[in-house]
Amino acid sequence: MRSSLRFFAMRLAGALSAVLGASIISFVVLRAVPSDPARLILGPHADADQVRALSRSLGLAQSLPEQYWHYISAFVQGDWGYSFTAGASVRSIILSRAGATVELALISFAWAFSAAVVLALLVTYRSRPLLDRIARGVAFAGLGLPQFWLGLLLLLVFSHTLGVFPGPEGRISPSINPPASVSGLYTIDTLLALQPATFFDALWHLALPSFCLSFFSFGFLFRLLRSSLLEMGREPFLLVVRGKGMSRWAAFSRHALPNSFLPTLTASALVFADLLGGSVLVETVFDWPGLGQFVVQSIQRLDYSVVQAFILLSAVAYVVVNLVIDGLYGILDPRIRLGRAQ
Amino acid sequence: MSGALLSVEHLTKEFHTNASFGRRAEVVRALDDVSFEVRRGETFGLVGESGSGKSTLARCVLRLIEPTAGRITFDGIDLRALDAKRMRRLRRRLQFVFQDASGALDPRMNVGELLAEPLEIHGVGDRNERRRRGRETLELVGLTNEMMDRRPHEFSGGQRQRVGIARALVLRPEVVVLDEPISALDVSVQAQVLNLLRDLQRELGLTYVFIGHDLAVAEYFCDRVAVLYLGHQVESASREQLFSRPLHPYTVGLFEAAPVPDPSRRSRQRRTIVRDDADMPSPLTGCPLQPRCPVGRHRKLCATTRPPLEEHEPRHVAACHFPGALIDEHAAA
Repeated sequence: MRSSLRFFAMRLAGALSAVLGASIISFVVLRAVPSDPARLILGPHADADQVRALSRSLGLAQSLPEQYWHYISAFVQGDWGYSFTAGASVRSIILSRAGATVELALISFAWAFSAAVVLALLVTYRSRPLLDRIARGVAFAGLGLPQFWLGLLLLLVFSHTLGVFPGPEGRISPSINPPASVSGLYTIDTLLALQPATFFDALWHLALPSFCLSFFSFGFLFRLLRSSLLEMGREPFLLVVRGKGMSRWAAFSRHALPNSFLPTLTASALVFADLLGGSVLVETVFDWPGLGQFVVQSIQRLDYSVVQAFILLSAVAYVVVNLVIDGLYGILDPRIRLGRAQ
Repeated sequence: MSGALLSVEHLTKEFHTNASFGRRAEVVRALDDVSFEVRRGETFGLVGESGSGKSTLARCVLRLIEPTAGRITFDGIDLRALDAKRMRRLRRRLQFVFQDASGALDPRMNVGELLAEPLEIHGVGDRNERRRRGRETLELVGLTNEMMDRRPHEFSGGQRQRVGIARALVLRPEVVVLDEPISALDVSVQAQVLNLLRDLQRELGLTYVFIGHDLAVAEYFCDRVAVLYLGHQVESASREQLFSRPLHPYTVGLFEAAPVPDPSRRSRQRRTIVRDDADMPSPLTGCPLQPRCPVGRHRKLCATTRPPLEEHEPRHVAACHFPGALIDEHAAA
């Protein structure tokens, strides 16, 4: 018990230092960029005195460690800075846009993950050459196709030509009022507000971008899981449980899958954290009001506080997802739990 | 036919390799027309060198792989005629123990779960009943109760094999196929496990099909023995007959290849039959052993005509044109 507490404390310390490291690196790198935010804010016509005065009031005259300290202590207290390009606090902008990205990420991940698991099982538990070939082809395409191109293609076919899915109009039809924000996720908010029509409209808008975004993740996860399952399929204990009278499907889903799942689980964590960071290209193609688009604009405008906050939040997302996965490891493989307890 | 609990007739298994880069698709005949009968309560041994098709035979008999041709009858039931579902149900009566004891156990499960699983598959009892039966069987194989919560990696090889045996026995099967159950174990543990298997057989009235390559073990453990060579059954007899007067030159070669523990008894120069796949004539017309057989190497009959499996002495069959020639020659020398 004590050692498992210690283990958890160690993990947490590691996680914190990772976040801290990310914040320092992002801070230093952005300061090293040869440009002056005060000049960017004031524009080319301001004179040098004005620029200097603003620089001082922004705190840019202080030493880097001092600036960092101000920044990080304010960040922890919820002050993530002010975006001078958007004219609003970084926190309010990120929170208002995070919902769109998180919702898209969750749906895309759910698609990719479930499709990868189901298909990998279907093509490995018994020989299905045709399905295997198709699934591998799709995975290959998912890994290889540029997402913005795939997005355009999807829009062209399913929206423009067939008209079954909406065009690039964001998260919801323009004629419909967005739901009152509780979680920021339209699908959840609409259900909470008991607006089924709006719920389906939101889902309908999610379909193409989430499919487009999940394609790559699917390819990655499917390939990984397929090869681990094939390898695990040669393990004698699978033959043994079949000899006990278990069906092929049960043997694969109950024995091969849990035993070969750890690498896929790790990869899923990375994929999901990556999706949480938002995708600039897909968001742009579908005019999705998420984080990715906003962050890239901020990078181009050297809007420090936005970029920094985003990097720090991404680091936190990665760390949290990985901590959760660590916990899942123990559930999936009792040997890890046991080794920890001893 | 009478008295046979398990009978195998003309079993043939071919493996097909796929053609790829400069390699032609090939057909490998792992088992060629193998027939035998196992009577209730006896231990039937299958011996042969590696690659002789022993394990393939075991898996075909259990229908874990599908034979190409032949008939397998268990207690009057034609196994190959069963659909997958009926076959799965029948597995309760027909269990096996694997050579690789550690690989045969799912590393994520503890012994209690491993023992309950076969019962669960066949819907036997409730949770408590399954656990009780598991504990009972664990005791039967000489392991203690407190091991129920341990996982395979916490056991020694011998203990793991005991768990494997317990998993086979927890269903109370009639036939247990033992596929080299002791080959992966230390010699000292081998004897323990063999004796355990023998005690269990007596206690539970089991019928064994024992697969191995160690002739000394086969002589100790089996009532009747069949010898396989490259998928062909070359000889089959009771233990006494086979070990006192082997008729087939290959069997004699196997005996002579076995190491003799007592140096003072290593009188005769060992005449091992060296295996050389390159000199296998293809397609095979004569005796499969002919190219490396001390008796048939220069005989035209052996090169052209395949010797049928015939009964040369009462209940002693061999596939050889000159049965007993080699052993008589050695006895004269």
